[in-house]
Parts: sequence; structure tokens; C-alpha cells
Amino acid sequence: MALVWYALLGLFVAGYLVLAGYDYGVGLLLARRGTPATRRAGLTALGPFFLGNEVWLVAAVGILFGVFPTLEGELLSGYYPAVAGALVGVILVTAGVQQRSRPTGPAARRGWDRVIVVGSALAAFGWGALLAGLLQGLPIDADGHVAGQAHLATPFVAATGLALLTLVAAHGATFLTLRLPAADLPATARLARRLLVGALAAVATAAALGLLSDRVRAATRQPLPAVLLLVALVGALVAARAALRRGRPGVALAATSAALALPVALVGAALWPAVLVSTVDPAATVGVTDAAASGPTLRLLGWLLLPLLPALLGFQAMCWWVFRGRTDGRAPVYW
Amino acid sequence: MDTLLLARLQFATTTSIHFLFVAVTLGLVTLLVGMQTAWFVTGNPQWERLTRFWGQLYVINYVLGIATGIVLEFQFGLNWSGLSRYVGNVFGAPLAIETLVAFFLESTFLGMWIFGWHRLRRGVHLALLWGVALTAYASAFWIMVANAWLQHPVGYELRDGVAQLTDFGALLTNPTLGMALGHVIAASLLTGGMLMASVSAWHLLRRTTDFALHRTSLRIGLVTAALAVTMVQGFGFAQFGPVGEFQPTKFGGGPTADAAVAEWTSRFGPGDYTPPALSSVGLGFMILIGFTLGCVWLLLPLLWRDLVIRLRFPLWLTLCALPLPFVAVLLGWLAREVGRQPWAAYGLLPTDRAVSDVDPSLMLASLIGFSLLLGTLAVTNWTLLARHAARGATDPALGRPPGVQDDEPRPTPAFA
Repeated sequence: MALVWYALLGLFVAGYLVLAGYDYGVGLLLARRGTPATRRAGLTALGPFFLGNEVWLVAAVGILFGVFPTLEGELLSGYYPAVAGALVGVILVTAGVQQRSRPTGPAARRGWDRVIVVGSALAAFGWGALLAGLLQGLPIDADGHVAGQAHLATPFVAATGLALLTLVAAHGATFLTLRLPAADLPATARLARRLLVGALAAVATAAALGLLSDRVRAATRQPLPAVLLLVALVGALVAARAALRRGRPGVALAATSAALALPVALVGAALWPAVLVSTVDPAATVGVTDAAASGPTLRLLGWLLLPLLPALLGFQAMCWWVFRGRTDGRAPVYW
Repeated sequence: MDTLLLARLQFATTTSIHFLFVAVTLGLVTLLVGMQTAWFVTGNPQWERLTRFWGQLYVINYVLGIATGIVLEFQFGLNWSGLSRYVGNVFGAPLAIETLVAFFLESTFLGMWIFGWHRLRRGVHLALLWGVALTAYASAFWIMVANAWLQHPVGYELRDGVAQLTDFGALLTNPTLGMALGHVIAASLLTGGMLMASVSAWHLLRRTTDFALHRTSLRIGLVTAALAVTMVQGFGFAQFGPVGEFQPTKFGGGPTADAAVAEWTSRFGPGDYTPPALSSVGLGFMILIGFTLGCVWLLLPLLWRDLVIRLRFPLWLTLCALPLPFVAVLLGWLAREVGRQPWAAYGLLPTDRAVSDVDPSLMLASLIGFSLLLGTLAVTNWTLLARHAARGATDPALGRPPGVQDDEPRPTPAFA
């Protein structure tokens, strides 16, 4: 039962990175010089999906708290700076996107755009740093006490944060190739392909630093699946680039989505059956089953929530279906 | 400064800001459902304009509700990891249900509602707003289930110092849940109603355009506020019984309080088990505000022949009373939360065991950072709300027909 919930947690975290990933990517692209109209076009492309994307994070943390309470406390407080940084980013993006078009003055809107850019960068970097931190373990003892936060200050953490940043930027640009009016397709596709090269370089750097890191090698329990998933991640990026060159934005978006979901799978698989690896005391390492809540809580949540899952995903799918297709002059504008 | 105090301050700050916004969210969405349903049934375009105007204010206000809500959810793990360690098995369940069943759907529906004007069939569009409202109420319910459990832990047993869920039904029938939930919902309706009445009163005082529209929302707001204030008082006073019984130390001493303190001293060691006196003072002020707002009933007879508008001073009174429900909401919340100190879960988990074991300097940085961030966002949000409220219902961006952009600069009506 704990395994099912662990997979579900992975689904929601990966779903969050894929969906909010293109929010943050489009947010980062607001940093480019452009007319107010092009900037607004990017936000209009996010439009109806934006509110439904960010809640995947809330749902993931809800599952974390309800189903893996021990893990929730130790994970969030153990990686405090990474989580808090990402959280600030999430707040800035959510406030920025929803409020930027409420003032009509161009200066105020430009200011909110900067807020969105900074927020997107912080969110992507913070979640990347958290994933890297998980891969290298943390100095936690059996009482759940973590000795300082210096364990996060490594080149691998920084490189992974940057890698996620470049990944969401490329993902956001790829999303725009599918959503913006067809006339914008060539220019956006060129941008996305350039960003994908950057993402490949950043992922390669992070991977090399990870392979060289003693802590990552010591914390990894399943090296083979981890390496295979890494290869798949690189493959997804290459495939996305090829698809864009052939003028297949849908395939490209599927590939960049996979590239954002794969890091979550990679962390889960590499550490399995542990989730939180202690670098100081092997007995303090938290496994998936011991992190889970006790039987009655799991049964209750299972009976209550699992039957509702199709409805949750169904309403999200309804949103995607209703507002599918490219934005044009008839698209509703609000953000 | 110790970590515990900083963590408590951060929780108090975030919750207070959160509550100021969600009270409006819950109150306004209820009224919006009424207005859009009226539009659907009657087809009268006035109802559409009302829905768009108040819907736009609702959506702006919603932003900070989400932002602070996300911070709160993370704070449990960041600052209060003992909470998940010792009582997470029980306390986590209602929170998990809230995020998935309520908030996840609420946000999905709201996104479709905002962008669904002119795109979805009118019935579907209305159903989405109903979905937003129902999930908002479900959200309030599950959060109050979780909070009531912290006030009065039930349905669990301790195994190796960790609370295990034994009876989920007991969480739903918690004696500190029902009246408190009613109280919170009524307070939200009161806040929403007062906001609506005050904004319309401002427009009517300044004799802006749209007399008919603001007359309607003034009447809706006043009637809602009057009904809600009576419910607030009823549910409020009904809580004194159960709270006094299950939290003997809340309202000062007495034999039951002494017995509880003696029991805790033997279980958790000697310590100060009385809450700060400040919480009861706040409660007194809140009750005073509650009675003051009860005077809104005196305005209802003046709705006859629009006396409330023609006499003008009732409009001034309504406008000046706008801060009152917000202050009352804060004081009430502080009384409930500060009044159960020093417990994270009453009689079960003291706050010093619930707080995360992180460095005080890190906690201080987090407190300052998040308070500044959320405080600034709250102020900018209120500024935006005030501007849009003042701009009136001429052309809200919400529900604007497609093809019309507001990027071109155009004359904006003067504010104040």
C-alpha cells in the first residue's frame, strides 16, 4: 500500500514539475526584450491552465503530509533553504501572473513581469537543488536532527538547480510553439531549439558532477536504473530538438514533459528503497515503508481519495480539452 | 530569540494574513453564486454585470489566499516538523483530504471559470462557479477538522509516543468543530457582505455612474451582513460551553484548570501551562465588535424607499464599519490559537516538541523574509482591490468579450 502511495506522490511531484514547469519557463522568457503584446501573448497562452497547474504542488505536499508524515517534517526542515527558496519563487510567480495585468500602466506591468522572472528562476532552481540534495543525502541523526544546512552547499546542488532552470526554460519555449498563433511558430521553435542545447549542456554538467561526487555515489542504492533514467532524460531532450526541427511541436512538448518528469523518477529509483539517506548514521536513513503513516491512516486515505483520483484528473483533462489549440484573436485574455 | 518563539511568530503572521483574505473569498463566492445563478435564471444583464464586477474583486483577492495558503502548508513541515513526527498520522489525514478533494478542484474550476466567459455554455460556466464555491466550503470544513483536532485531540491512541488514528469518525464529530465551523463561515459571510455594502456605499456617496447596480449590491450586502452577524453571535456564544469544558486553561483558572495543570506537570514536567492573558483581551474586543456590527439590523428598515441611500449617513456608517469585521476575524482567530498555548495539540503535544530543530538564525531569516514578502503582497493586493473597486463596473477585465485588449493606454477614472 505504501508503494502505491509512493508512486502517487511521484506522479503528483512529476505532474507539478511538468505543468508548472512550463509556467515557470514562460515566466523566464518574459525576461527577453519584447513588446508588451508579445509578453502578454505568453501569459495568455498559459491562461486557463495556470491555476490548475500550481495546485499539483499543493496536492503533492498534501499527500506527503497525510501519507508520509515523518518524511514531510524531515524532508522540508532538512532542506530548509532549498525549500524556502523555491517557495518564495512559487509565491512570486503565483502573485505576479495573476496580478500583472490588473494595473493598466506599462511600467507597473513591466515591474510585475520582473517579479515573475525572478520567481520562476527561484522556483526552478530551488526544486532542482532539493532533488540534488536528496541524491546526495543529508547529515540527519536518528532523532531527526540535521546538523546545519551547509550540506546543501555543493557544486552538484548548484549545477542541478541550474539544470532544472534551463530545462523549464526550454520546456516553456516548447509549450509556446504549440500554443502561440501559427505565425509565431518558426521564431519560437528556433528559440526552443537553442534553449534545448543549453539544457543538454546543463544536464550533462550536473550529471558529471553527480557521478564525481562521493556523497551521491554513496547515497545511490540503485545505480543501474539511475543511469538508465539519466540516459532517457538526455534522449528526451535530443528527441525534443529533433521534433522541433521537423515541425512537430506536439511531439516536442511530450518529450520536454518527459524530461521534466524523469528527474523525479530518477531520484525515486536511485534511492529506492530509501527516500531520505543519512550521511552520518545508516540507522537514521528513512525508507519508503517506515516513512509511511500507519495502517489505519493509509486505509482511510485510500478509501477516501483513490476513488476520487479519476475525478481530479478528469477535471484537469476537461480544462486542457476545453482550451486546447492555438491562441488567436478569440482567445480569452485575463492574466 | 529562540527558534520556538520565531516559529510561532511566523505562524501567527502567515495565518493572520491568510485569514484576512480567505474570509473575503468564502464570503464573496457565496454571493457570486447567488448573482450568477440569478443571471442564468432571469437572463437580466444587470446580474451579469454584478457577477463580473464582484467576480473581478473576488479573483484579485483570491491571489493572496492561495499564496499564504501554500506558505502555511509548507510551514508545517519547515517549522513544525515535530507536528508531523508525533501527530502526523492523525492530523495529516484531514489536511491531505483538503488539498486533494477541495483545493485542487477549487483552483482547477476557478481557472476554467475565469477563462470560460464567452467560451463555455452558460450552464457549464455557472456549474463551474458552483464547483468553486462548494470546494471552498469543503476546504473550510477539512481545515477546521484539522484545527479542531489540535484544539481537542480525539480518535487516536499513543503508541511509542506517536499518535495513531483509531477512530476517524471522532474527528468529524469533534465537539470543538461544529460551532467553530459555523462561526467561521458566518464570519466570512459577514466580511463578504460588509465589503460589498461598503464598496457600494462609497460609489453611492460619490454618486458615480451605475446607481442601480450599486443599489442592488448595497442591499445584498446589508441583508447578508445582518443575517450573518446574528449567526456569528449565535455560533460564537455556543462555543463557550465546549471550549470551557475541553480547554479548561483557556479562560483563566478554576478547579478544572488546576487539575489539568497538575496532570500535565506530572506527564510533561513542570512548566507554565497558562496561555498569555492577551488572547482573552482580544476576545473581549471581538465580542464588542460583534455587538457593534449587530447594529446593521437597524439599517434594514431603511431599505424601504431607499432611505438608506437618501439619508446618506447610513452610507457613511457602512463605509466606516468596513475594517471592523477584519479586525474581529483576526482577534477571534488569535483568541482560538493563542488561547491554547503552550500546546500545539492540546494536552498532547507541547509547542517546544513540535517545533523544528533548526538554527534560530535560519528561522529568523525565514520569519523576516516571508513576513516581508507576504506583507508587501498583501498591501499591493489591497491597493489593487481598492483601485478596481473604485473603478466600478464599467468594464472589468473579467468576462470581457474576446478581441478587446486593455494594453492600449486610455483615460482611467480618478481615484478618490
